[in-house]
Amino acid sequence: MWTQVGQALSQSMTRMVSKFASLLPGIMALVIVLILSLPVAWILAVILRRSLTGIDFDRRMAQWGFPSLAEWSPRKSPTLLVARLAGWIVIIIGFLIGISAFDAALTSQLVYRLFDYMPNLLAAVLVLAAGTVIARFLARSVLIGAVNMNLQYARLLSAGVKWLVTVLAVTMALEHLGIGTGIIRLAFGILFGGIVLALALAVGLGSKELVSRSLEGEAIRRPTHDMQEPVSHL
Amino acid sequence: MELDAAAQPRLEEFERLTPADLVIGIFDTDHQDGRPVELVRDTLAGLPKTARTVIVCNHSGPRPADASDPAASGVESIAVLQSSLSAGTAAETPRQSLMQAYPALFDIAKKLGARACAVVASQFRAVTPQWIRGQIQPLLELGFDLAAPIYTRHNLEGLLNRSILSPLYGALYGAQLRNPLGPDFGISARLLESLAGAAARRGHANQPPPVAAIASTAASGGFQICESYLGSGTQPPTDWNNLSFLLADILGPVFAEVERTAAAWQRIRGAHPVPAFGAPAAPPAEGGSVDVQRLIESFQLGSQNLQDVWGLILPPATLFELRKLSRLPAAQFRMPDDLWARTVYDFALGYHLRTISRDHLLRSITPLYLGWIASYVLELESAPGNAETRLERLARAYETCKSYLVSRWRWPDRFNP
Repeated sequence: MWTQVGQALSQSMTRMVSKFASLLPGIMALVIVLILSLPVAWILAVILRRSLTGIDFDRRMAQWGFPSLAEWSPRKSPTLLVARLAGWIVIIIGFLIGISAFDAALTSQLVYRLFDYMPNLLAAVLVLAAGTVIARFLARSVLIGAVNMNLQYARLLSAGVKWLVTVLAVTMALEHLGIGTGIIRLAFGILFGGIVLALALAVGLGSKELVSRSLEGEAIRRPTHDMQEPVSHL
Repeated sequence: MELDAAAQPRLEEFERLTPADLVIGIFDTDHQDGRPVELVRDTLAGLPKTARTVIVCNHSGPRPADASDPAASGVESIAVLQSSLSAGTAAETPRQSLMQAYPALFDIAKKLGARACAVVASQFRAVTPQWIRGQIQPLLELGFDLAAPIYTRHNLEGLLNRSILSPLYGALYGAQLRNPLGPDFGISARLLESLAGAAARRGHANQPPPVAAIASTAASGGFQICESYLGSGTQPPTDWNNLSFLLADILGPVFAEVERTAAAWQRIRGAHPVPAFGAPAAPPAEGGSVDVQRLIESFQLGSQNLQDVWGLILPPATLFELRKLSRLPAAQFRMPDDLWARTVYDFALGYHLRTISRDHLLRSITPLYLGWIASYVLELESAPGNAETRLERLARAYETCKSYLVSRWRWPDRFNP
């Protein structure tokens, strides 16, 4: 019996060692790929950093309507953010290549699903970027228009428009990413529906006196202002 | 710009005849049939030499009859061409539609080989024979290339001209014109040729209407410029609710022209008055009062809410002075001339650099303009007879601050006071 126990242990040990031996090339390949990807990532990050610094990327991002990107970036520099992101992407790709050495089927499925998801990710990023730019543009348009109309609550109107468009863009981006689509849609519907209902109630019932006084004030002010002013511009 | 299908054959008929001496374009569609011909006949009767004249009416109604009675009028002939001169799309404002009529008229004048072209863009009921004579006589008899208008106005009329257009054109292009954007010009064939050449070099895409380029092309091209007293042009009432649209309509082409001619105005030094013809009439009484408090409140509201926008256009020193101004009580509210001049120059630079959307930039100047009006009105109230002196001082401030504009234009990042 002890002989059989010994044989079972020996066979188990042999299987373990041979299993480990079969994995060893994969592990070595993973380590080598990771070691190689580190300098590649570093070189790419340096090249990107120098190129983006050369075109004054940080200042341009602020001008193009993304000043908040600096708040999220390391050392408040979008250039550094992009460079580090590119470096980490290279390292992750290296990791995936290394993983494929273990089980090609598993990693190919993983890579396939990742690349299948990429268009959604890109679309979400584009929708978010476009939404941010549009939100800032519309907010500025509303602000300038409201100030020119002498509305005291110009800034509030502008902020409202900006946040509405931003929420819409974030919702669309999350829909593209497939993250909590049902609950996001519900929340968005409740939010917008609630805003519209509140406005309708305010105008129709609750604030009708205020709106009526405000409209009356504008109506009285406007004709007397026009009739008495001897000013012309051209 | 193509003419109506009905007008094209008539134009071709005119082209086959001897060249016209004079083309007069009447943009206002609100006039009685036959009145343009009568008016032009009376005008030409007052000139020592006769002139073959073609009147171009911006009209799609029945055409008034030509006048071809040399014995009665002493005029060789007055022919009438009637056509809608502007595209008149639904999206255009009346002003934009009017601006489209200029290139159409200039094109007709060129095709007819006219020696001079007079543009009557003001409301026709205000036009007299002396008006048209004032536009054409300097061109036909004295060899001038551009006759710009001087209108009889009281101190509170033409404020956009007084505050921005006139001093800006004077400082940049060296010719002090009271109404550099007309709209009623007299233009020689030589200047028309130059304008057409400039338009061709610009290409057809996004070119500004030529009315903004007329005075600048004449001044920077060495043409002979004069002014003529025309009379009291009728002014449209101020629409305070759409003032920002008006400013965008007017200042957009002006700043585009400043950008286009940057190489020319950076070389021009000083400004000089131009000869003026005709007799100035007494200005009418002002009538009514200006709600200065409302103008100051608009300026203050802009100062509170548009700091982020103005911060992209104006340098820190100017922003600081504007903030200080917004805190002054009405009795002390005075906008210094150099502050105003530098502000206008910064907006022109911002337009060129596209620091923000051009539409936003042009509309955001509205509270600043209202602040200037408030300051101007308060100064006139304290010294009523000094309007001309006041405006001369403003023109000198623009000239003095021109070096500021040149420095910022050439080195926008390095020179930011």
